[in-house]
Amino acid sequence: MTELYNKLERVVSEKFISNDINLRHAYSRNVDVVLHGVPDIVIRPKDAQEISEILKVANEENTTVIPRGAGICEFGGSKPIKDEGIVLDMKRMNKVINIDVENLIATVEAGISWSKLNDQLSQYGLYTGCMGPGSGMTASIGGGISHHSVGGGGCAKYGACTNQLVSLEVVLPTGEIIETGSQANTYSKFSFNRFGNGPDLAGLFCGDNGIFGVKTKVSLQIFPRPPFADYKTFQLVRGKSNEVSAKIFTEIRKKGIDVYDAMFIPDVVVRLGLEYGLFPLWKDLKKKRGMFFYTVEANSEEELAQKVKQLDDIILKNKAQELGSEISEGNYAKWHYTEQGHWQTYHNLWGMLPAFEPLTAECFTPINSFPTILADLDQWDIENNESMRKIFDITQTRPVVGTGPVLLIDGNNVELTCGFGTFESYRDGEYHEIIKELNLKLWRSMLERVTKQGAQWYMMGYMPSQIMVEIGAYSEEYYNLMKSIKKVLDPKMILSRGKFNFWGD
Amino acid sequence: MSKLTNLKERWEDIFTCMNCGDCGYAIRAPVGRFLTCPIKEAKGEEGFEIYFSRGRMNVLKSVLEGKLPLSKELAEFVYQCSECGNCSEVCHQSQNENIIHCTSKWIDHVEVWNALRKDLVEEGISPLPRHSELINFMNADNMKNPYGEPKEDKIKWASEFSIVKESADLAFFHGCSIPLRQSNTLNNLMKILEAGGKEIVLSQDEWCCGSIALRIGDEKVAKEAMEHNIEEFKKIGASTVFTACAGCYRTLKKDYPQLLGEELPFEVKHITEILNDMLTNNEIPFKGDDVEVIKVTYHDPCHLGRHMSLYEIPRELISKIPGVFLVEMKRNRKNAWCCGAGGGVKSQFPELALEISKERLKEAINTGAEILLTSCPFCINNLNEAYEEFKPEFDHQIRIMALIDFIASKI
Repeated sequence: MTELYNKLERVVSEKFISNDINLRHAYSRNVDVVLHGVPDIVIRPKDAQEISEILKVANEENTTVIPRGAGICEFGGSKPIKDEGIVLDMKRMNKVINIDVENLIATVEAGISWSKLNDQLSQYGLYTGCMGPGSGMTASIGGGISHHSVGGGGCAKYGACTNQLVSLEVVLPTGEIIETGSQANTYSKFSFNRFGNGPDLAGLFCGDNGIFGVKTKVSLQIFPRPPFADYKTFQLVRGKSNEVSAKIFTEIRKKGIDVYDAMFIPDVVVRLGLEYGLFPLWKDLKKKRGMFFYTVEANSEEELAQKVKQLDDIILKNKAQELGSEISEGNYAKWHYTEQGHWQTYHNLWGMLPAFEPLTAECFTPINSFPTILADLDQWDIENNESMRKIFDITQTRPVVGTGPVLLIDGNNVELTCGFGTFESYRDGEYHEIIKELNLKLWRSMLERVTKQGAQWYMMGYMPSQIMVEIGAYSEEYYNLMKSIKKVLDPKMILSRGKFNFWGD
Repeated sequence: MSKLTNLKERWEDIFTCMNCGDCGYAIRAPVGRFLTCPIKEAKGEEGFEIYFSRGRMNVLKSVLEGKLPLSKELAEFVYQCSECGNCSEVCHQSQNENIIHCTSKWIDHVEVWNALRKDLVEEGISPLPRHSELINFMNADNMKNPYGEPKEDKIKWASEFSIVKESADLAFFHGCSIPLRQSNTLNNLMKILEAGGKEIVLSQDEWCCGSIALRIGDEKVAKEAMEHNIEEFKKIGASTVFTACAGCYRTLKKDYPQLLGEELPFEVKHITEILNDMLTNNEIPFKGDDVEVIKVTYHDPCHLGRHMSLYEIPRELISKIPGVFLVEMKRNRKNAWCCGAGGGVKSQFPELALEISKERLKEAINTGAEILLTSCPFCINNLNEAYEEFKPEFDHQIRIMALIDFIASKI
């Protein structure tokens, strides 16, 4: 055992630490197919105090630490990308600490999943509003806050999950434990407000991709789930689906309708989904074109009817065709809302073929810009045909470029789940290094392209965070400010070393 | 260098895992999904990712890519899996027939674990010590069962029942657990069949079905048993072979044709199917004076439910028993929590198996049922042992009964 291991074992006891080679490989990957790295040690800490001690040891030993919520980052963010470091598996910290039904605030340990918290809230007729990311059945709340996550339902109404943040407990990279917002006042008995007591330091850790501290406790606003809801699905039968859907999104916002969810499912998703048998609910439709759906909530039948009418007017005016009200009749929105399909929608195209996985360029962008980005990706696809062809030569299937569902989020913005579906390097008994190289090259190229379209990254992991720096997307002043903050908080750069290229100069 | 023959055949399953992690954490209340992996949950705060499917798939990706060898240490982890198949359910299920998940086409987790176990055996890394004993018993000419009992003990009860004939349309496959460990249930089964006027035929030399060897990964031993049993039952010539063991049922119905590469010359049924037909035809004479309504709950054995989709027949059967009110556990059918006994866990890691059963018992007790019914001898045994072990921790009492015993008590 190394000195590092021995020191850490003294902090957490032997049951919660491992350097077993098999166990470490279990933590060597996440969603993307190219960024792999085996940690030296995996630890499951029980609380902020233990994490504080772990970080102090890591500083002493100058070893990188990678916090891991549920490990679903699509950009390699919750594990090392080379063989090194300590992975902090935060899933042991998964308890609800308090549900304050009077003040409508839930306080939880940061490793708890969105689904577990919402399951408990449902007993009180409450929910988190924004239901976290599309992977919220597993994804942790700490991870959601670290990424401004959206996609798991409710984002058109409530926005990214960080909008609901009230306060955070964070362990700083050098081991100090702080609380933010109302809890910055040590006399405050419970969390009640994010802003005040000085600057919004919680904001420093929102979307930080785990570089400024380890989130250990999160207080979120919670909301009564309205008793009435409706959900409808439409097929976009005329015009260019991307443009038509953008127009519908914009009109919904201009009318000020507080739609709970609104989603555009592009033509390519519908077409491929039907081809591969994923959508029996649409199999009888004559046209294989894009879909649009909405979910709306209300506190009375009258309010609901009014909102539904407003939404239907907008959508039908754009020549969309309403599908039946049941899931079997094509109403995807009903599955999405009533059966919590919102936590499964994005999984649906992954694995369309064996070992077929996404390399994503998921981003936020204004509604009116996403058709342009998608058109540019079509162009990018043509420009990269040679590399695509090389992958085809091995896999006999060409990678698929485009976007998954496009989701209305806060403001006049959408989450664009663009990227390309490609293949793992291992096929039928052989490892093809060339596939990995091509995937990496193509992915970097696509991320650069989308960055240059002015898109905004939220889940950044190693890839977009480094690309932003490498292509000069940050102004020098902005980058230097971020780096200065990082240096003050984390002088040895032990947390998620490598992100944003802060380390190594 | 390991050949990894079996794992290589499952490369599509392994590399299609997208690392979403729902096999470890999924909760989706509207469709009755409350967590997934009994092993990970039983490990509690020590539930590192290698104890559930995603972590294991990552390890296997590394193994196939040549970055990690098979080893004893890896075997210790991978045999801590009851092969309940709940990870496959959550991976595949949109829980709505109108929306299909692609992964359901490519990933069969249990088959991946079986392939890994076969490679471990072929490389001489496993079986683990207790599993080796079972294999030795199954290999012994005077035993041919995993309990190490004399072969003839399996059949010695037969002379007591007049329904056992030289030939009949219905052949009974004993399995090993019921005749060698739960003979009271066997007697009750005969009592019911006798009361219903059934006649059955037996093999005088039935070996273990091979399930245990298959789950351990010793396909050679399993295949030998299969070939022997098939010849035995061909000789008998019955049109239907039935069993009261969920593990035997899965093995006979699913694994035999697959491994032997041929259609079976008989139909395979589980006892719940036979009893359900008997009840439909009013062939079971229930006591007329038994009017007290009793609340029961039903535990889906993994080998019957998730592995074979036999969910409704046991429920139909229970609903036809006079004076019975069936109340479902929070997790039932595809979402049912495993008892923890399968996949060789009970024999090699008995404490882990009990810990998993404890969770299931709590769920059963929470229904307010007086009786927990099930239809698998492994589940019965493990649930009973866990009940005895943890009795002081439970709020209420519950009786654990084989469905067969319950029906017999009513006639």
